[in-house]
Amino acid sequence: MRRLRKYKPFVRASAIDMMAYRFNIITWAIVTVFEVACLIFLWLAVYQSSEGGIDSSINGFTYKEMIVYVVLTTIFGFITFNDDTLWFINRDIRQGTIGNFLIKPISYRGKFIASNIGAFLMMSIVFGIPLYAAGLGVLIGIGYLPVASVWDFIAHFALFLVASVLACLLNGVISYIFGILCFYTSAAWGLNALKTTVISFLSGTLLPIAFFPNVFREIVAYMPFAGMSQNPVLILMMKYDYLECCKVILISLAWLVLLELFAKLLFSRAIKVVTVQGG
Amino acid sequence: MIEVQELTKIFRKPVRGKGLIGMIATLFSRKYTEIRAVDGVSFDIPEGEIVGYIGSNGAGKSTTIKMMCGILTPTSGKVLIDGKEPYLKRRIVAKDIGVVFGQKTQLWWDIPLVESFKVLKEVYQVSDSDYEERIKFLSSVLGIDEFMSQPVRTLSLGQRMRADLAASMLHNPKILFLDEPTIGMDVLVKDKIRTAIHALNAKYHTTVVLTTHDMADIENLCSRIIMIEKGKIIYDGPLGDIKRRFGNIKTLTLTIPPNIDPNEVEPFSNDIIMSVDEDKVILSFDADKVNLEHVVQYAFSKYRAIDMKIADISIEDVVKKILSQQEEEHAKAKKI
Repeated sequence: MRRLRKYKPFVRASAIDMMAYRFNIITWAIVTVFEVACLIFLWLAVYQSSEGGIDSSINGFTYKEMIVYVVLTTIFGFITFNDDTLWFINRDIRQGTIGNFLIKPISYRGKFIASNIGAFLMMSIVFGIPLYAAGLGVLIGIGYLPVASVWDFIAHFALFLVASVLACLLNGVISYIFGILCFYTSAAWGLNALKTTVISFLSGTLLPIAFFPNVFREIVAYMPFAGMSQNPVLILMMKYDYLECCKVILISLAWLVLLELFAKLLFSRAIKVVTVQGG
Repeated sequence: MIEVQELTKIFRKPVRGKGLIGMIATLFSRKYTEIRAVDGVSFDIPEGEIVGYIGSNGAGKSTTIKMMCGILTPTSGKVLIDGKEPYLKRRIVAKDIGVVFGQKTQLWWDIPLVESFKVLKEVYQVSDSDYEERIKFLSSVLGIDEFMSQPVRTLSLGQRMRADLAASMLHNPKILFLDEPTIGMDVLVKDKIRTAIHALNAKYHTTVVLTTHDMADIENLCSRIIMIEKGKIIYDGPLGDIKRRFGNIKTLTLTIPPNIDPNEVEPFSNDIIMSVDEDKVILSFDADKVNLEHVVQYAFSKYRAIDMKIADISIEDVVKKILSQQEEEHAKAKKI
């Protein structure tokens, strides 16, 4: 425990940073409202033109569920994926500030985990609580969530929190791995675009994984990305029973351990090629 | 305390073609040039010593320092800090070393200095009582308390350097690496920094390795110097030896009126070497052999100097002299 205390300042610093970007967050929120509205209308058109009309279920999703899914993945991404890991690593390498960390008795990876957690905590407290509370109110309001199953919902919510933390850490380690690639190439912008695209496509943010073709869907379900957006949201929507919840959480946990080990290996190789700029 | 054995660092740099066609060509074939920044360097530094690691720009000083503090991994050879290799046991060795790079700050740019110190206190797990005691001592030798609550970006270069030095000492490292700690400072600040380094060394028995371009830093601080040129050590020994070898060389630069032809002025003595550069006359001599006062008088009376400047020998001059001496010795050895 004492060894972890030295990372506390990094948790705090990134939490404070997050609040320094209030204006970015507001502009982002405005853009997102329009995006979500577009998606709602798009899905409305899809469901209306399907055989069973608006009440039909496509790939296990009714229209109502689809809307809830779209709104929740958006809120979820907003709160969970706030990391500049890749950009920080790129900057540390280009400007040579990586040396400042290498001469301190802290792990470079540990520092980023601390920052990810700080940002996540801050966003969860400031935006998560009101947004999820409002979301819950709407869900009960539109009759998606019967009041009778509230206890069941609370249990799912607890599992959702676990899955959220895992999602945040998975996103962090994937960013970190892409960031480490900046040791070998200066194409940080391209790496970031690649990372963002891969994550939003394979995590089900763009489209639930259930909509993918058969074999592909099975493969994607066992990749780390599903646990980063779709699975936590589906846990929250109570689309999974407890056994399934545990299964997806364990898959995420296994991937997290695996990816952290891979990141460690990659870093220990990459660090040998460091040539600090400017002498 | 520090052992360096046959340390070598080779940088590989891709050769880029010229112009657009060259750029496209480099996409398909990569050629590399190898630069031996540090080439088979070995030395030992015992505890409590202040060592000047000097050489001209690009000689390999910073690269060696970076390998000694674990930022760079050597291509071959090794560094042992208290028996451990810093680039392999980074986090363990980091507790034993403090590093200051004159060109870059390690402090957090936007937050008050005292907050940076508190972060470092947590990172190095310094106890409250140790922290209090060290801050007190460091403030007294570096005078940092007057700007403790200012954000680092508002500090002047001299203040920032003092702050950086204090930051590197908070965890009481066994070894302090200072890479050009006085670069760009004025005389007063330089003096303050030198006094502080002395005080730290005396109080905590800290081993100090410093690189510098300032001869005065070396004379004031270092008992021993290691001189490096093109990645190889060309001198390692006490400062006194170098001085004995080259004497207390000073150069006197005179501006003379146009009606005086310097070549017609009778020479003062054979110990003075004269060179002419447009309207400037440069006299270089050993101040231990020739009386400075006499040379100055002579310069005013014979050359009718309008203006003059006295300077100590620079590190670059010493390096040049050592190299030329070694070449001479080589040439002699070959003849025999």
